[in-house]
Amino acid sequence: MNLLSDIYDAIIKNKDLNAFCINGTFYSYNDLALCITNIRFEIQKHITDVYSIGLITNDDLPTYASIFALWFEGKAYVPINPKFPQQRNQQIIDQSGIQYILNSDTNFEKDNIKLIHTSLACNSSKDVELPKAIIEDQLAYIFFTSGTTGVPKGVPITLQNLSAFVDAFNSMNYPITNTDRCLQMFELTFDLSVFSYLLPILNGACVYTIPPDTIKYSYIYELLEDEEISFALMVPSILHYLRPYFSEIHCPKLKYNLFCGEALPIDVVKEWSSCVPNALIANVYGPTECTIFCTDYTLNFDEIAHHNGVVAIGKPMKNTDILVVDENNNPVNIGNEGELCLSGKQLTSGYWNNEEKNRESFFWGESGTEKVKYYRTGDLCKADESGNLQYLGRADFQAKIQGYRVELSEIEYEAKKAFPSINLVAVAFVDQLGNYEIGLCLEIEYCDTLSGINLLKDKLPQYMIPTKIKFLKEFPLNSNGKTDRKKIMGIFS
Amino acid sequence: METSLIKEKIKDVLISVLDHNNFEMTDDLTAKDVDGWDSLSHMMIISKIEEMFNIKFKLRDLNKLKNMGSLVQVIQSKL
Repeated sequence: MNLLSDIYDAIIKNKDLNAFCINGTFYSYNDLALCITNIRFEIQKHITDVYSIGLITNDDLPTYASIFALWFEGKAYVPINPKFPQQRNQQIIDQSGIQYILNSDTNFEKDNIKLIHTSLACNSSKDVELPKAIIEDQLAYIFFTSGTTGVPKGVPITLQNLSAFVDAFNSMNYPITNTDRCLQMFELTFDLSVFSYLLPILNGACVYTIPPDTIKYSYIYELLEDEEISFALMVPSILHYLRPYFSEIHCPKLKYNLFCGEALPIDVVKEWSSCVPNALIANVYGPTECTIFCTDYTLNFDEIAHHNGVVAIGKPMKNTDILVVDENNNPVNIGNEGELCLSGKQLTSGYWNNEEKNRESFFWGESGTEKVKYYRTGDLCKADESGNLQYLGRADFQAKIQGYRVELSEIEYEAKKAFPSINLVAVAFVDQLGNYEIGLCLEIEYCDTLSGINLLKDKLPQYMIPTKIKFLKEFPLNSNGKTDRKKIMGIFS
Repeated sequence: METSLIKEKIKDVLISVLDHNNFEMTDDLTAKDVDGWDSLSHMMIISKIEEMFNIKFKLRDLNKLKNMGSLVQVIQSKL
């Protein structure tokens, strides 16, 4: 397949249909095509030999059109969330070597960066042009995820990785057609967003976004019911928010409901299934490093494979190979616990300019007779007799907050600077709603935390800011003499 | 119930959930203006308000809550 010409064909073929519904306004594929073409002219005019371009992630048509325009011009996008702290965005800009940023909002200034305003470009009319011929390993995007030492890690994904994902998704049985209305609930800095805009556009469907500054879960509910969303990929935390209202929710038009990004609890999804009586529900799994998601489990409500109430993540998709290994990278026997490792066409070539992390996270292993590169996910899993993977938890100090992968050590790293000379730990705990929150425990009788937390807010995105703070005069130790994180976690939940 | 009394009670809820009182209870106050008022705390604020006034919001009510004024209105309509 050729992903770019498939996108092009879909846009031309469906030009009279709706491509996007953004904050209540519909935009046709023709509107999208014009916007793409005009932004391409701007890119051609201003940018020559640079391949990674920053993109400010606003919720509007020019922002989505910019993604396709960049791809058609042989360039990759690096999403930059204007709501993230400036310092974090600066780290991303520095690491990826961005010189140009596309922005649909004119209220944005940055030193040493050339800005290209895309909203003005979308006003003139031109004919839609064919994509440029692309090189095989052209990057599609670089997403940045939480890193341990306070510096985010860049994950480059090529168009080939992305094509492999689309190919694997198409061979599963969750078809999207040009009559579908699809939910796009993710920030464009989160790679599940790529699925939620790309797959609908490839199939002529309409993408419904969530405007910023709305309460997400109630807005999603109104889209599901009023706009009759037929295809939705969600994070399970949305269900925790909606759960008190399940009895009010009736969405018979939802046909496919995929979950990704966090553990999916079996009791919640069972209750939810009566709100969406005609939906096929699936649990998909995958880190950004392996392009969006790469394992799949379709729920059959007569018999759901699960471990401790967490729904299985199923089997690898078509273009992914898996290994479950022990500490020495040796495969464990079926039924035994180990770290899940991934390989295949969806796998990134490695972190952006980060050899040290690459040595830690990737290794060469055997797949049949071949030596292939594997990525250590940090997720503990075991395979059952039918080959389904059960998710057991994290192997390291990572946590998932609202679907975002968070390194607790990164929070601690910044918190130690915000609370100098106080010993502290960050933990992820389950709150009354069943959602994960970040707790910060300080080893001190009491201190004022307001200014420290404000300092953190300058360094970390909102989802990484601790929501509960506790004080302990002395931290409990475990049998190894280490700080007992489990016990500390216990005082939060 | 009088608007001022409703506001007073909402203010208590906000302070207890958010741990601060850096906000003014004006009618056009929105979640955006208040530190720490996000999706997560919103859920807790809503359920505490429900408890305090002994009312139950419908999911549809939640999208009508554009600012403090509309919150007070919706509460009043349920008392």
